[in-house]
Amino acid sequence: MASVLGVDVGGTFTDFLLWEDGRLFVYKRPSTPDDPSRAVLAGLAEAGADGAAWRPDEVVHGSTVATNAVLERKGARTALITTEGFRDVLEIGRQTRPNLYDLEPRRSPPLVPQRLRLEARERLDYRGEVLQRLSKREAVKLVRSLRDRGVKSLAVCFLFSFLNPRHEELVRDAARSAGLACSASIDVLPEHREYERTSTTVLNAYIGPVVERYLTRLAEGLGHAGVRNLRIMQSNGGSASAAAAGATAVRTVLSGPAGGVAGAFASAKSAGVKRAITLDMGGTSTDVCLLDGAVPFTSESSIDGLPLRIPTVDVHTVGAGGGSIATIDAGGALRVGPESAGADPGPACYGAGDLPTVTDANLLLGRLRPDAFLGGRMTLSPSAARRALRPVARNFSGDLEGAAASVLEVANANMARALRVISVERGHDPRRFTLVAFGGAGPLHACDLAEALAIPRVLVPPFPGVLSAFGMAASPITTDHVQALLAPVEDDGAFTHRLGRAFAMLESQARRSLRSQFGRSSAPVMRRSLDLRYAGQSYELTIPVSARADGCDPARFLAAFHRAHGRRYGHADAERAVEVVAVRLRAELPGAPVRLARLARGDGDPRLGRVGREAVWFGGRPRATWLYDRSRLRGGDRLRGPALVLQLDATTAIPPGWQGRVDDTGNLLLECEG
Amino acid sequence: MTNRVDPTALAVFHSLFASVAEEMGVTLGRTAHSPNITERRDYSCAVFDAEARLVAQAAHIPVHLGAMPVSVQAALPLAPFAPGDIVILNDPYLGGTHLPDITLVSPVFERAGRRALVGYLVSRAHHADVGGMTPGSMPLATELHQEGVIIPPLRLLRRGRRNEEALALLLRNVRTPDERRGDLDAQLAAHRTGEERLLDLVTRYGRRQVVTRMRELQDYAERLTRAAINEIPNGVYDFEDSLDDDGDSANPVPIRVRLTVRNRTLHFDFTGSSPQRPTSVNAVAAVTSSAVYYVVRCLLPGDAPTNDGCLRPVSLTLPEASVVNASSPHAVSAGNVETSQRIVDVVLGALAKALPGRIPAASAGTMNNVTIGGFDAARGRPFAYYETLAGGAGAGPSGDGLSAVHTHMTNTMNTPVEALEMAYPFRVRRYSIRNRGRRRTGGDGRFRGGAGVVREYEFLTPAQVTIVGERRKRGPWSLRGGRPGTRGRDSLTDASGRRKKLPSKGQFTVAAGARLGIETPGGGGWGRPSRAKPRQMRKRVKT
Repeated sequence: MASVLGVDVGGTFTDFLLWEDGRLFVYKRPSTPDDPSRAVLAGLAEAGADGAAWRPDEVVHGSTVATNAVLERKGARTALITTEGFRDVLEIGRQTRPNLYDLEPRRSPPLVPQRLRLEARERLDYRGEVLQRLSKREAVKLVRSLRDRGVKSLAVCFLFSFLNPRHEELVRDAARSAGLACSASIDVLPEHREYERTSTTVLNAYIGPVVERYLTRLAEGLGHAGVRNLRIMQSNGGSASAAAAGATAVRTVLSGPAGGVAGAFASAKSAGVKRAITLDMGGTSTDVCLLDGAVPFTSESSIDGLPLRIPTVDVHTVGAGGGSIATIDAGGALRVGPESAGADPGPACYGAGDLPTVTDANLLLGRLRPDAFLGGRMTLSPSAARRALRPVARNFSGDLEGAAASVLEVANANMARALRVISVERGHDPRRFTLVAFGGAGPLHACDLAEALAIPRVLVPPFPGVLSAFGMAASPITTDHVQALLAPVEDDGAFTHRLGRAFAMLESQARRSLRSQFGRSSAPVMRRSLDLRYAGQSYELTIPVSARADGCDPARFLAAFHRAHGRRYGHADAERAVEVVAVRLRAELPGAPVRLARLARGDGDPRLGRVGREAVWFGGRPRATWLYDRSRLRGGDRLRGPALVLQLDATTAIPPGWQGRVDDTGNLLLECEG
Repeated sequence: MTNRVDPTALAVFHSLFASVAEEMGVTLGRTAHSPNITERRDYSCAVFDAEARLVAQAAHIPVHLGAMPVSVQAALPLAPFAPGDIVILNDPYLGGTHLPDITLVSPVFERAGRRALVGYLVSRAHHADVGGMTPGSMPLATELHQEGVIIPPLRLLRRGRRNEEALALLLRNVRTPDERRGDLDAQLAAHRTGEERLLDLVTRYGRRQVVTRMRELQDYAERLTRAAINEIPNGVYDFEDSLDDDGDSANPVPIRVRLTVRNRTLHFDFTGSSPQRPTSVNAVAAVTSSAVYYVVRCLLPGDAPTNDGCLRPVSLTLPEASVVNASSPHAVSAGNVETSQRIVDVVLGALAKALPGRIPAASAGTMNNVTIGGFDAARGRPFAYYETLAGGAGAGPSGDGLSAVHTHMTNTMNTPVEALEMAYPFRVRRYSIRNRGRRRTGGDGRFRGGAGVVREYEFLTPAQVTIVGERRKRGPWSLRGGRPGTRGRDSLTDASGRRKKLPSKGQFTVAAGARLGIETPGGGGWGRPSRAKPRQMRKRVKT
């Protein structure tokens, strides 16, 4: 049987999840930020010494290499070629400032400085017709001058190129013959809106060489370790071959949260849960995502303020995490976050700093155990937590526990707002969903959040701290393709035919891509969709379209569009003209059949899992609470709150009034009684 | 220290009320019809309590900030209200600012029980055309009636039923009625969203708690504001600046302020500012308040609530019949977009004297308004385009000013050139940062002002054009020994290549093939320029 290893590189830890012969193994080790591949290779060797073979056929990998290249501005020396008169579009952006009430507004600087932004004498009109033809000579001259200036990577983005690729192709060809890496917007993002398209293309050019270099090094190292196949996690929740990932590196930038959502989706399916809301709470932020039978996507994300318009798992992020700092402001309000104590100095109880954080509040209330953190590799200091929280408690008449409970309440309110944004505010009733909690702190806060939103159930997967690695190992192989169309929807055969042709073209692109990546012949699942909007609007809704013959019939997808618009915005108008903005296609091949292993079945009594009984604060008072060791729980065990379930890298809090059940694959399912 | 307020509830409800206003904005922006709202996001949404005091305003457009409370006040004489009533208005002398900004005000009642009033919701959106002398409704008018259709407060919806007759009258008076209807529908949708969200809160927490929390949040914002004012030394600070001209005569239009800081209050006295002018540079009182409140809000922490409490420690004296407090029927469209910016400049200038070393130099100080309209023969329909162009931000104590950014009273986005050319019969030939070679448009200084932008339009059909700009005669001022920013300039080149300089404010017709060039001002410099300046000094100092 095949084996596959998911490896998720985070800022602090690198997580490993091996699926082999139907069994799962996990491993965690410190990351090596200077070269993340070292931790990957070292982990493989260390874990392998552990008994199990750790000789996977395939590795699926997600890293922060692309993200960090942008955040730390360590990408390749990149140049940009634009239409004459438009080289500064990249810097002007949408001409806004990020914070309205800021006397000295700041924006993140563009990735290409003005002196490396050149203009080409060319121009297309809004129908793609040539107003000024680009000469091959000029293309070659521009490319050479840039190469001579030490440029390592080139981005090209012309106005309306998505309607006529000829001019960008000329530049791309010139760059290739000059041996210069080139990202053309027609390849990266053939969609309208010049700033967003330029930004995405430039990001790709900027991080491409860095990501490629990293992946080459990693593939070599893995090859020496006997691993032949390497797949890379992408922001869309699927994976691609290392070669494809290097070529469109921009698709890997937001792969971290995508891995978590993919893992949560897989866990939810294994537990028979169709509708899930994910809660990934880490040290500085929390990601939430709503899964209504499928992973949702957005193409409106950004990194460091730079727009990134490629399909990305639609996670909503809020600046609340275990490290979020609590303060009392000048008006007497308790604020928690978005400032975070991060990993350095970390929460006060880590012993290095004195900033009161959410983690300190949890520790003070007994919800975190000082000796059970990271499986005992790290001891937390309750006295440091008390000291740090004392100034906050002054506003609570010195009541430390009351202050700590309030810190949690405010942090929870911030997260609840994020959960509300993706559910209630988008027309979904949370009562029909299950909250899937993971990340270091998710299971600690999940039940309180579920109560705030009237979510009836919480699911804590068996490995909440390495769920991203699980998601990567289980991820399908995907490739996304898009073509701008920009046409009114017409109820006639010609239009239907035109759509059909556009999809057919994207499908053959997708087949070519998969064949070149994996050489597989198995037929991919083709998922078609259309970006639609009412004429005049500037925002589109992506509506799935059936791949059957009648899928392109407007009568079918228009009804779905009106329904979606009504749900999202509270009104729809079946009479109003609708436009197609883009045609989208995702081709998908199944990934490794990674499943959770079956757990030994117990008699329902969790007594064997008990490791202690302590006073833990719930609902404003200390309650005698059983502590359980998760690794000792068996299938079918039933727990009753108040209880804490401890494991290597996460603690689950089960408040009074909640009860839990361990299912056959080790998921912990919590439900509110009554 | 004893504190009767609940520190936890403050944080929780601050975020809850803010999200009601923000969610209204999302609905409005995503479902509107015209690029002016969907792409440029020229709109604001707010929540008021049952006493018509501001509770939360989404951070959209500052010029709407102080003006929204006046809109609610102007709607109140129509009371008693019933559930489902929505008031519409744009009369600058009755709750509006300038005619293109159409405001809706709706009361929100509890669904069950006594059906008590919970509060009011307000949305305001800039509509690309509301009739009047020129397409885009930003003409150089001499009286309000020339600027477009005037809507006094009236019910657009009565108990949920649309007032079709009033709507018909309104739409007959604008150039692009379908677009107006689409945008008004989006505003109505925003109110439905807001009402749902606010009533969700009432269901979850009960009306009594919601009402109490509204009041507590206002008190909280007041405490934050007084704490911020406490940092300003008591005293009297004067500042004067002027508009280039009023678009009719060439004389500058002075604006003067005397700031008195005393016992954690601020008083702004505009006595000495120019009498109102025969053109549209007049600001109504609501616009002047917005400009002042904007500056006050900038002194608070970034995440502080924006509500009635911020306004309580602040008072204004506005001379009657002046450019900062116009009287009917004076024209006002440029007062909203241009005079408001100069009011910010004088208020900041006065503050710079009170807080030397904390306030940045003047930013572009203009919205560089361009309106183009006419009949689009290729598409067979009339068109009206309005856009504002960014300039340079003033440099400040923490570093260089940003280039090509909207500052102070506006923060509207640009419309993508690709979206423009698909919708309108003109082309954009150049859109770039306004630095030519080594010549920079931001003022030199220890920290340099941001650069302005250049945009060049080429017309494909004859069209009517109105431009309203400022800082075309004198560049934005500097501080502490820096140099002023470069002033803006505009030109028209006809098809034969003859180029003509344009006044800062003007309206004219253009032939197909003509090109309009707009060059916007750079921001002022901050601190004495030193010749041999190490590079990293210009980077932002972490504060």
